[in-house]
Amino acid sequence: MKTTFKRIGLAALVSAALIGSAAAEEIKVGAELPLTGSLARVGAGMQEGIMVAAEVFNKTHGGKHTIKIVTIDDESAPAKAIAAVEKLASEGVVAITGGYGSNNISPASDAANKLGLVYITSGGVDDSLVNAGRKNFFRINNSAGYEKAMVGLLGDVGAKSVSIVYSTKDATSGLAKDVEKALTAKGVKVAMHSFDPAITDFKPIINKIKIQDKSEVIAMVGYENDYVGILRAARVLKPSVKAMVGVWSLATPKMAADFPDLMPNVFGTALLPFPAEFKTADGKAFSDTYKALYKKEPDYLGQFGYVQSMLLFEAIARAADKGTLKKGGVAEEMRKTDRDTLIGRVQFGANGDNPNFIHRMGQHQDKKIVIVWPKENATGKLAYPALPW
Amino acid sequence: MTELILQALYSGLLQGGSYALIALGLALVFGTMKVINLAHGELVLLAAYVAYAVESGLGFGPVVAIPIALVVVCIAAVSVYFVVSRIKKDREINSLILTYGIGVILTNVILLVWHADVRSTSSTWLQEAFVVGPLYSMRSELLFFGVSIVLMGALWWWLARSWYGRAVRAVSSNRDAAKLMGIDPGRTELVSFIVAGILAAFAGVALFSYGVIQPAYGGALTVKAFIITVLAGIGSIPGVLLGAVLLGIAEALTVTLASSALQELAGMTLFLLVLFVMPNGLFGAARRRG
Repeated sequence: MKTTFKRIGLAALVSAALIGSAAAEEIKVGAELPLTGSLARVGAGMQEGIMVAAEVFNKTHGGKHTIKIVTIDDESAPAKAIAAVEKLASEGVVAITGGYGSNNISPASDAANKLGLVYITSGGVDDSLVNAGRKNFFRINNSAGYEKAMVGLLGDVGAKSVSIVYSTKDATSGLAKDVEKALTAKGVKVAMHSFDPAITDFKPIINKIKIQDKSEVIAMVGYENDYVGILRAARVLKPSVKAMVGVWSLATPKMAADFPDLMPNVFGTALLPFPAEFKTADGKAFSDTYKALYKKEPDYLGQFGYVQSMLLFEAIARAADKGTLKKGGVAEEMRKTDRDTLIGRVQFGANGDNPNFIHRMGQHQDKKIVIVWPKENATGKLAYPALPW
Repeated sequence: MTELILQALYSGLLQGGSYALIALGLALVFGTMKVINLAHGELVLLAAYVAYAVESGLGFGPVVAIPIALVVVCIAAVSVYFVVSRIKKDREINSLILTYGIGVILTNVILLVWHADVRSTSSTWLQEAFVVGPLYSMRSELLFFGVSIVLMGALWWWLARSWYGRAVRAVSSNRDAAKLMGIDPGRTELVSFIVAGILAAFAGVALFSYGVIQPAYGGALTVKAFIITVLAGIGSIPGVLLGAVLLGIAEALTVTLASSALQELAGMTLFLLVLFVMPNGLFGAARRRG
């Protein structure tokens, strides 16, 4: 009797193991992100999107391929980002998703390129990232998409003069100079004011705009802490401008909730209105899973992280089906990508950039975010002139 | 142009007051123990996050958070002291490494508890403009500039007139001689850490009231405080105020007359220039030995 039970038990174990291996092939994907240091906030936001993508992918493709995310914190430091990529490679990942800040992404993607790993990101918009000849580098957004949105809005409102206040970091100064070039070409008078990322008091800059520039619009190219400083200084000095316009991290539900007195009427890039409306099946899957995992409304960082990771997982699955996973098949499949996503149509050019990327502009109105540009995607009426004070 | 320069001088003065408040605690501990507390910026930041917790959790303004911040930061400062006081050999260099490690731990504790989001006060009253002729500032900046001056005066009085203040100066001057005079150096150093904690608590609440805080911000605060401490000359309270105001004004004038991208460079140039001309800092005397 005992022997019979032993045999049944053994048979059960063997069959369970066989079923398991036949059911799903577990594929490791690395996530190199700044979870501590100065970029911790944006890194954590992107990580949420990556985890949602893995959850959604495993639900839909779980029978055949299962993605396992291996995360390493790059501590917002370029040297640590390289070390993170190398560690992920040693752990057997087939590709890397993540990265934030062009100065961290550049060395990290270099390391990935040398190791023959695909590296995909939405955290770096500096043009040098796609001009360095890395064959395995891909990104879904770029400086040009932000520039088109900002310049498009300023053109629609008919701004004649603009003061651009921008951080001296790579991505922000690159974007600010592109916007300056585009506006100058349209005959708009532009004044440039660069600032060190360590600056906390923006009153001397805003005072220069108030007394010397006398511009119609202040355009801000920085990050959350910079926007708060600039808007506070502007609220104190009250320059006679018609609008305050920014780029990323500004037209977000988080900024509306955390700084309700500073945000009214402020413009910023936004993929979706708030409260968010997801109409596609992909969008609904993202939104539902995000809310289930994090018990909050999804934000733009999560959306970007989701899109970049989902495209990567799909390419991995296709390469795995063709048996080219470890023969450069992932990069090959990435180049074949052409599909509509939550950020619009994504394709990758020879340099790994997404030529279709174009952002939208949102405006904080009554604690909501209304898409106001381009007109075909508008969810509400643009308020102009309109200021937070 | 006059209007711009006046505003730059005013902004620089207020910024200098805030720098001085941040630097005072570090200067005090450096003066008494010859310990560069590299976790000082994180102590300031801890106070700022306590103010945030009180405002977001209980709905009270940052000023109400001061007593709670005092308790929390003083406990943290005392803990730092007990760890540092265990060092028996090469205290100056070992304390540097140790307090750096404590700073990293504190940053990560703050990150775990309050996450990486950007925080600042939501008090409208504190952010409202205070205008005197062509000069503009936030109410919070002016309020905490006043607090900074009062605290510096109080600290000066305490060091000059109180028994513990004199003991701190005696230990700072010659630890062994102070011991022979019946002063307990350990207790005196503990007191200086507690006073540094009090100053850090006020500095943190001030920072939350007029600025923006993030967990990674502590290191930058320590660097700024260290520059001012060295600029001032070790152990000089008026030197801290003057050094901080000079730095604030140099930065603001650089923004106004040149570019804000050069602000940090201007601060460092001033720092190196002063040290080149006056190696002991603005108010520092050459240290006596023996």
